[in-house]
Amino acid sequence: MTFTYFLELLINGALTGLMYSLVALGIVLIYKSAGVPNLAQGAMVMLAAYLAWMFTTMMGIPLYVSIALSVVAMFLFGLLAERVLLRRMVGQPIIMIVMLTLGLEIFLRGLAPGVLGSSPKSLELGIGLAPLIVGDIFINRAYLVGAIVALVLIGLSLLFFRTHLGTKLRAVSDDHISSWSVGISVERAIGISWGLAGISAVAAGVLWGSVQGVDWTLSSLLFPAIAVVILGGLDSIWGVLVGGLIVGILGSVIPGVLDPIVGGGTRNVVTSLVILLTILVRPHGIFGREDIERV
Amino acid sequence: MKRFIKGLTGAVATAALATTGAVQAQEDDTITFGLLQDFTAVYTFLTNEYNQGQQDYLTLINQEGGIDGHTFEAIVRDHGNEPQRGLEAYNRAREEGAVLMDFLSTPVSRAVVPRVLEDEVVLITPLHGRGDASDGETFPYVFPMMATYWSQAAVLANYIEEHEGGLEGKRIAHVYIDSPFGREPVPILEELAERKGFELETFAYPSPGNEQSSTWSEVRRFRPDFVTIWGAGGGQPVSVQTAIRNGISPDQILSVVWMAETDARQIGEQAAEGLKRFEAVATGTDHPIIQRIQDKVIDEGLGAGDAENVGTTYYNIGVATMAVSVEAARLALEEYGAPLTGEKLRDGFHMIEDYDAEGMMPPLTFSEEDHQGGGYGRVSEWNGEEWEPVTDWFAAYQDIVWEEIEESAAGFREGN
Repeated sequence: MTFTYFLELLINGALTGLMYSLVALGIVLIYKSAGVPNLAQGAMVMLAAYLAWMFTTMMGIPLYVSIALSVVAMFLFGLLAERVLLRRMVGQPIIMIVMLTLGLEIFLRGLAPGVLGSSPKSLELGIGLAPLIVGDIFINRAYLVGAIVALVLIGLSLLFFRTHLGTKLRAVSDDHISSWSVGISVERAIGISWGLAGISAVAAGVLWGSVQGVDWTLSSLLFPAIAVVILGGLDSIWGVLVGGLIVGILGSVIPGVLDPIVGGGTRNVVTSLVILLTILVRPHGIFGREDIERV
Repeated sequence: MKRFIKGLTGAVATAALATTGAVQAQEDDTITFGLLQDFTAVYTFLTNEYNQGQQDYLTLINQEGGIDGHTFEAIVRDHGNEPQRGLEAYNRAREEGAVLMDFLSTPVSRAVVPRVLEDEVVLITPLHGRGDASDGETFPYVFPMMATYWSQAAVLANYIEEHEGGLEGKRIAHVYIDSPFGREPVPILEELAERKGFELETFAYPSPGNEQSSTWSEVRRFRPDFVTIWGAGGGQPVSVQTAIRNGISPDQILSVVWMAETDARQIGEQAAEGLKRFEAVATGTDHPIIQRIQDKVIDEGLGAGDAENVGTTYYNIGVATMAVSVEAARLALEEYGAPLTGEKLRDGFHMIEDYDAEGMMPPLTFSEEDHQGGGYGRVSEWNGEEWEPVTDWFAAYQDIVWEEIEESAAGFREGN
């Protein structure tokens, strides 16, 4: 492997990892306030992409207005999911709440393609296909844009948790009963976190949808996103950033070396190992709090 | 969705009739086909259009009076690409009198093969399933019916040899989804590389193919003259887009059959110009059968789905599968009379000679030995608006393909 090839794998791995971070961010936003690992985030990403496509293609609304409408729709969806599903689960074992989000994932994965069509849909963001090769290093334009959006959203999330509302959400995450006792509406806080996860799903869905088309396979982004949050820490925004970079880089560089030797794609193996080794060696992840209760 | 609900409703109604004894296997004039497919999992990128084409063709035949008064009925059910559900659906369809099945799923078709051989029911596996089922002596009731992935690779390689300046000394990259399907053409390409003197390198990307950037970094460094891509669904446009971003031109890329209009639009209609694919069935509405479907089925409000799908790649493939199957039924009824059984239908397939569905597909000839139909196809190119054929129908290197078929079929015989 030449140095330039290594550098190319490193850079594109980092960009890809930041694209995964967009999906992972939604999981962390919910966990930070509700304490629930949301396994429906992959399907929410898919749903958001379907909505953007529906507004643009079926209704003829300009793309960026469609994205704005999708943001509103997914925020409302998040609020609704909390109100209709999660609120009923107060006091139930955490494992049942996790199973509920898994059920939601499966339901959405069937519903959106069933209603809007299962063949892949095109979502054109206007990111050119012309090669961007610096020296002998190729840089994926679409991922470059996605990485910038991811960095902006991660930055905004960090700032948000320093605001008054963000502090309330952190308090809710720490202790629901204490939060109630000081007058914080726990239900509202958790609803807002679901809504914010819906917004991050739009960013992930639109960007990934523009790369691969909009279909059910967008929901499979849950797998690398889970690796990101486990490695970075389920309750850490910084973890989303660092975890995304590491998962992306390892998933690019290691297959770059191993694939030609073993004659197959090893990236999913690498991602699986990240999950397994993190849980064995540092169960709370790099930046996660040690008192996280794992299921 | 509407079509899906309609199909499920029809299936439930048929099942209800079966339990009351109203439907007895082929005792009346109706011929039943089981179109038990994956509407909800992996093959969703094509199932709706494919199945719609199949149903619309059967409706057309019924509208035209059937075959000597015998009309056709389709049992449509979802198996979600799960072998166990496929087997359950097969058992029910069998009880309801189906004499032909199409699962449009490699895992389900593979699981059902031993059953259809035992039950003497015809299983068609167009463009999926076991390539070695082309060996009719080993798989007497299974009909791949169209070019296997081995034959498709052979046709694409021959296209480079005949139309792109020869194979000798060329560098060809085979980029594939990391699955048995993606690896399937590799032995053929390796054998051809040895015989024709070109350099072959294979590159896998992980399923489902939504992220392929590191794979294409490797491909670019290989500096290929041509690239064959072997994927399906969302992974296909990602392959072409990432190739273009790496400076590989679409006119260097040749795809397996799973590359449709939707994929070209996802890549970008202009950006995809020059992209080539293997074509098993002609695309578009300018064909006598499709015209008749438009007049007698779609315009009459009898279509099984969205009218916009008529003439698309996967719709026309669905139509062609039923055209061949109905032709087999017609020949069987002519020879043996009613009721139509699986055994008679199998023999009907064997009687098909140079059948091309009124010009929609290459002339197919089946025999007791050859259930592939000759391994024909052609190469078409995206011209910015539509797929345009750039060759006539042809088959290539069938000696190499049949070595592979026979070796694999021998393995099946040993294991059973």
